[in-house]
Amino acid sequence: MLGGRYLKIGLILNLCTTLTLGHILNEDFHETLDLRPLPDGRLLSAFSFTTLLKEAIPRDPETLGSEDETQHYTLFPLALGQVLREYAVTELHMSLNAGKWDYDRWGYPEDPGVGTGAELWAYMGDSSAVSVDARWRGLRNALAGLFCASLGSLDDQRTTSPSLTFRPEGSFPQWTSASNHQLRHATLPSENVCTENLTPFLKLLPCKGLSGIASLLNPHRLFDSDWHGLSVHVRYLRDHGVEVRLNFQAVSDPVRYSVHGKRDWSLSSVFDRTIHSSCRVASSSMIRVARPTEKTAVVSPEPPSKSEDYAIFDLSDTATPLDISMQWQDESKFIYPLASSSSPLTPISVQRTLKGSIQSQGRLSVVITNHLPITIQTSYLETMPWLLQFYLHSLRTYHNGISRDDLVSIVSYTPPVPHLRPTLFQAVLTLPPKGTLHLSMDVMKPFLRYTEHPPDAERGWNLPPAVFVPLISNTTSSSKVASELNVADVDFRRLSRRIYTPVLLVDLATPDFSMPYNVIIMSCTLIALIFGSVFNLLTRKFVVVRVNQDSKPATRSPVPELKN
Amino acid sequence: MHLPVSLLSLCFLTLASLSAASQAAQDRATTFFTSNAQHSPSGSGHTNNWAVLVCTSRYWFNYRHMANALGMYRTVKRLGIPDSNIILMLSDDAACNTRNKFPGCVFASAGGKAGKDSSSLDLYGDNIEVDYRGYEVTVENFLRVLTGRVPPSLPRSKRLLTNDRSNIFIYMTGHGGNEFLKFQDDEEISAFDIADAFEQMWQKKRYNEILFMIDTCQANTMYSKFYSPNILATGSSELDEKSYSFENDNDLGIAVIDSFTHYVLQFMENINKTSQ
Repeated sequence: MLGGRYLKIGLILNLCTTLTLGHILNEDFHETLDLRPLPDGRLLSAFSFTTLLKEAIPRDPETLGSEDETQHYTLFPLALGQVLREYAVTELHMSLNAGKWDYDRWGYPEDPGVGTGAELWAYMGDSSAVSVDARWRGLRNALAGLFCASLGSLDDQRTTSPSLTFRPEGSFPQWTSASNHQLRHATLPSENVCTENLTPFLKLLPCKGLSGIASLLNPHRLFDSDWHGLSVHVRYLRDHGVEVRLNFQAVSDPVRYSVHGKRDWSLSSVFDRTIHSSCRVASSSMIRVARPTEKTAVVSPEPPSKSEDYAIFDLSDTATPLDISMQWQDESKFIYPLASSSSPLTPISVQRTLKGSIQSQGRLSVVITNHLPITIQTSYLETMPWLLQFYLHSLRTYHNGISRDDLVSIVSYTPPVPHLRPTLFQAVLTLPPKGTLHLSMDVMKPFLRYTEHPPDAERGWNLPPAVFVPLISNTTSSSKVASELNVADVDFRRLSRRIYTPVLLVDLATPDFSMPYNVIIMSCTLIALIFGSVFNLLTRKFVVVRVNQDSKPATRSPVPELKN
Repeated sequence: MHLPVSLLSLCFLTLASLSAASQAAQDRATTFFTSNAQHSPSGSGHTNNWAVLVCTSRYWFNYRHMANALGMYRTVKRLGIPDSNIILMLSDDAACNTRNKFPGCVFASAGGKAGKDSSSLDLYGDNIEVDYRGYEVTVENFLRVLTGRVPPSLPRSKRLLTNDRSNIFIYMTGHGGNEFLKFQDDEEISAFDIADAFEQMWQKKRYNEILFMIDTCQANTMYSKFYSPNILATGSSELDEKSYSFENDNDLGIAVIDSFTHYVLQFMENINKTSQ
């Protein structure tokens, strides 16, 4: 009787707790690993950890002045969730990459944000309580603290709003009919990525890098790869909820590790680890191994399910410890393919260089090659810091040696303000079929103030990558495109992803940093000598003192006294 | 809780052996311990420990300074101070530097990974948090961290949230000279600056005791200007003395650790959480 009464009270209390403490939401966690051998013997591994917070809506920025409703997470990362609610962020993309992504040899990455260094962009709703810029500053610093990166220095001198290139990947909640979202984007191309960035990344996962696919993330091997990058993507999907996707991509070189120069790889040879147990809270845990074009490659262990292009391993019903390996059994040593013999992996190729070595002369040159047999348009974005200013009137476009200024149409240009604001240049280029476009523009390199030079000033400044988005629509000549790219079927949406150029290094004139010390020493010396001489000239007088001959000589000093 | 006592006893030993007026120093250290032994038998009335570890030099050839700071970081973490109570400032990236033959690793002794006996410990490991890195390590940021005068947007992991019951271990390493320490080849901090910062901390009740350790050339001059109570300081060299590196690594091509820090770390290897 007594126990029953307590049970009833307990149940009522439980119900009240559920009603009063805010929503308790359903969460879903999926993890995938895509392994794709590349034509030049390298291996692309793309880890993706997705947590979906069902029926959640990003915070309405108008409520920023008041207390937020309580959030309860079990799988969703708490540290990241708190940052998102604190600054009312609807969509967030952050990436930290190192290396140069070679589109010509490796094709498109799984995650399009491969610009070198740190890149952060976010969509935030307008608010009368706290401005978007104030929240952007808070967001940068909060993420800098969370990921041990110097994102706090992505200040106004690096922030722009390139909404034509960086379109939202999710949907926007309509809190009121007049709510409007703004984009803030900033890059820091000179940022390093190391274990201190991977440590908090792993701590955001439900299984924390101890089990499941995340246990393969070994920093000693990942940071030895030819290209690596980690990224965080948060977006709101209407009818689903808030989704957080944590990605890690790396391009490793098995030929370098192999004794005989073979491109055979396995999880233990690439990551130095195998998967010992699966993550219990994951709804799905899949490893997909893409088959290379040579059908002679053998995947072991035998995959439980396979399709034409992929071998799929589901960790929930695969024996552990799992060590997947791929071997080319009829190859004794890997021979690198010639660049000319392979079909292009992306619709366009871009090369960007900075010419002109002296301070007063500079030219930015961009060469874009269209691999497709049809005319396509591509958008071209430059977010250049004010250290390199464009002379826009000198923009020249050449195709086959003929000047074709009609192929460039400038959509928007926000001129830079020195020491305050970067350049935002957005244009649409029309590329003739199988043609190469040469763009060149004169640039100006300013003199920096003495205090603006970084500690290693002689190195120069890294310039952020330019971003191209091929605007390929669903045209009737999809067969021509497919045959050119040597694929069975063309996915136009996948072809229209962002392409980043490598970063540039610009050398600005550095002053002689020892000059202030030299000036002080020299002026002090001069002042001392001049003042001393003038003072002596003005006030010192030499006089002769007569010594009396009849007085006692013994007591007198033989040296005549000088009166001053 | 026994960490500062171990470090303090080490410094007591160091002081006793280095200084000519060792007896006077010994008496001073004894009074330091006994005067604070009001509340607990361990000798100090503190409730939490913090560490601020600063490496002020950049570039690959100053690898040994980053190894110094990371060696101290590992020791301090092993003996119980959590990452949330450690502020680690590294001016450059040594582990993921493109010149580093062993990616993701920083070693404090020669031999590296080539010797499979693994006698050299990898100081970077898999779990590390660097709070200030690269261009963020400046004199201004260092003094702001110490005094607590930080902008409101600064994240929590970069703040020194100490109170008057905190014992703080402050370790600095880099290139220095007579009463100055060079930050990243660009600016300097003087002994007076640090002394004033400590006085501000005392006035604002931001520490119970400070252990100040410094490994640069002419290091002892850096603490000659302190005028706040409850600070125990030790350095690697006197006025007009240089501090030397300990050993070179033939695979990496540079010196891997400084002498003073090497011997401190060697001593600390024998201390664990339950040592007296």
